[in-house]
Amino acid sequence: MATSKLQALWNHPAGPKTIHFWAPTFKWGISIANIADFAKPPEKLSYPQQFAVTATGIIWSRYSMVITPKNWNLLSVNLAMAGTGLYQLSRKIRHDYFNEEETAALKE
Amino acid sequence: HLDQAWWDGISDPISYSPYSSDPLLLQFHLQQTAILNSPVGPKTTHFWGPVSNLGFFIAGVADMKKPPEMLSGNMTGVLCVYSALFMRFAWMVRPRNHMLLASHALNESVQLYQLSRWAKGKGYLQPKEDKAPSST
Repeated sequence: MATSKLQALWNHPAGPKTIHFWAPTFKWGISIANIADFAKPPEKLSYPQQFAVTATGIIWSRYSMVITPKNWNLLSVNLAMAGTGLYQLSRKIRHDYFNEEETAALKE
Repeated sequence: HLDQAWWDGISDPISYSPYSSDPLLLQFHLQQTAILNSPVGPKTTHFWGPVSNLGFFIAGVADMKKPPEMLSGNMTGVLCVYSALFMRFAWMVRPRNHMLLASHALNESVQLYQLSRWAKGKGYLQPKEDKAPSST
């Protein structure tokens, strides 16, 4: 019983033998790479790239709920992208615009 | 006949239209099958998703001026694999999504270039002669 269910999953038209499975699955890599970059100093982050990650995450999160059938896998991966992108943006903005008082105070 | 239109790769839609003898019907058919009403056109989600992926391409182009030390090897490498996978996905999905294919092809080229800049900056692409003294 279990093996036939596994076989059904394995042979599914959107299963692990097809690109329909691996392309969305690999999209998690973007969020994982972003999480790995949490350790990077904010000066080395890229505004355009993080903005693209965040915007892509938000747009695709909306559309994954609008299509039929609703794609929760797609929603989760894009919410993660939007989340990590927003965090990186907040780190860089905080460093660029809200640390000036500290550095100015240090110089004085 | 009616199921096929320009986005499926037909070069001469007018000759394929079953209404080529009736100008008004032909006009209506062409309007209904025009880009704005396309199943992958600007009124659909199939359009705006690929447009958001162009954001990665634009970010890549904007970052071309940056010194390689500022590039993220993690993100650039992941985006290269990501765009390669999604080019195949865009080709195999139905309806076939040429816009998605194009946006990822552009992103792939920019990200591969950025990856090469990052690798050179890190010294990964040195010729073998430089490494010979240290290996002997």
